[in-house]
Amino acid sequence: MAKLKETFKLKPVYLFLTALAIFLLALPQFGGRYLTYIVIHVMLLSLLGLSVNLLLGYTGLLSFGQAAFCASGAYGCAKILLAMDSPSLLAGVFGGLLIAGAVALVIGFLCVRHTDIYFAMLTLCFGMMIYSLALKWRSMTGGDDGLVGIPRAPLEIPGLFSINMSPMENYYYFVLIMTGIAIFLFYRLVNSPFGLSLQSIRDSESRTAFTGIPVRTYRLIAFVIAGLYAGLAGVLLPPLENTVTPPIAHWSYSGEGVIVALLGGIYTFTGPIVGALLFFVIKDVIMRFTEYWLFWLGIIVLALVLGLRGGVVGAIQRKFLPKMTL
Amino acid sequence: MAELLRVEGLTKRFGEFTAVSRVSLEFQKGILTSIIGPNGAGKTTLINLITGSLHPDEGRIFFNGEDITRLPTDKRVKKGISRSFQVMNIFPRLTVFKNVMLPVLARLGKSMRPFSRLEDHPDALAEVERILKGVGLWERKDSIVGELSHGDQRLLEMSIAVASEPEICFLDEPTSGMNPIERVKVLELVKKMAADGRTTFVIVEHDMDVVFSLSERIIVMARGEVLADGNPAEIKENQQVRDVYLGEEL
Repeated sequence: MAKLKETFKLKPVYLFLTALAIFLLALPQFGGRYLTYIVIHVMLLSLLGLSVNLLLGYTGLLSFGQAAFCASGAYGCAKILLAMDSPSLLAGVFGGLLIAGAVALVIGFLCVRHTDIYFAMLTLCFGMMIYSLALKWRSMTGGDDGLVGIPRAPLEIPGLFSINMSPMENYYYFVLIMTGIAIFLFYRLVNSPFGLSLQSIRDSESRTAFTGIPVRTYRLIAFVIAGLYAGLAGVLLPPLENTVTPPIAHWSYSGEGVIVALLGGIYTFTGPIVGALLFFVIKDVIMRFTEYWLFWLGIIVLALVLGLRGGVVGAIQRKFLPKMTL
Repeated sequence: MAELLRVEGLTKRFGEFTAVSRVSLEFQKGILTSIIGPNGAGKTTLINLITGSLHPDEGRIFFNGEDITRLPTDKRVKKGISRSFQVMNIFPRLTVFKNVMLPVLARLGKSMRPFSRLEDHPDALAEVERILKGVGLWERKDSIVGELSHGDQRLLEMSIAVASEPEICFLDEPTSGMNPIERVKVLELVKKMAADGRTTFVIVEHDMDVVFSLSERIIVMARGEVLADGNPAEIKENQQVRDVYLGEEL
């Protein structure tokens, strides 16, 4: 107990994390359906932001194609859930993730041999190819109508347990757990030897190669992992909305991932998570006053990105917590 | 002396310009060698070819008897070839510690570990401590590299180059842009590292005081070709070298 007290005294960040965990766990009890629904979306956008940041902040690659993996996961999950006689949420989620990972592997193989603007443009092109498929391959994707009637299947392992996901709060807890696990794994990843390798590639590709690291292979692995994170953001969406439509594959959705990463801070771990929260708060507040919310959102995001070098978290870290890694 | 590295008829062209022309050389284990020559002589291009930054148009490269001409850079490093760069090439956003940790982890085959923490690798930590203490940067291990002085950054770059425990290490103008105090520090370090016998050093340098005080062998290049090759005394006396490069400097 004494040790626990000492830890909390030394690291107020633990207090903050504990308070945040309590808030998130209790949210469905006091927040109502709308807030619960919005927080699910914040979590999904956080995952997309983390996906972008693994490439941009940690590996030095700007991708405008993360929506493609989000869409691959979402459509994959939706097709699996629609095809099953008795749909299983886990089958849909992990099947969708597998598809997103496979698509990321193929696109990544073709993209990671390039860097800078060439990489950005290639990911944009491949992303829009996936968007075109979602829009035009009507027999598979439902075209611009998308896929509808996707069930929020129960979370079950036959013979072990089955949890009904129809109530929003149950699905919220599922998304919270999945996001929590994903964020924890992301933290371990970026602080591991592999994470250090990615950061070194970001700083100097040639120097990294001269430490004996195969740069292209590492970039491809990072690309696939980033694809899986975007895919996770995608697979969790159809059971929530009961539908999936082509805009999820559009480059502007990839752009949202880039914006939240920049907003929060690309050289920070928590930046994309804070960025996703800010994005939704700003969007929600502005939408109450004007239908031209995108215009005002653009101005605010621009001011924050230009005014706060390194994003919101980066600025806080520099100003108040220079010795801490946020 | 055992042959470590051999190049045969190495040629590199950039359009009409031939940067390196039919260069054949051998590097022996334990012999501290300097490559000198006027700007544009092909010194850095030769290093780029040997280390894998560039691929030759003609010729072959053998390391410990094995043909490595088409091997990618990272595989050459694994074989035991390393280098520092003419223009500072380090990881500016990382700490001093992490700059050296990376090549050590790569050498130990641990750079791919995705979920372990850096502190879970005590063998690598001890190795980084040894290297940084050796170059006098241990006290600054937590500094972000971009905040170091130019001289300390050069020392760090050399630490990164030797952290992979190469058999041969090319140092491309290791004292460029340094003040006299920093230069002495770097020279002492090169001497110390060369003396421990683990690594054979090949240095590209313009400062003749540095070259003649350090080297056991000097290779003079001009217009992409080897003009002369010998010990410092032989090079000093070589009239062709004096005409083309050294002039009345010596």
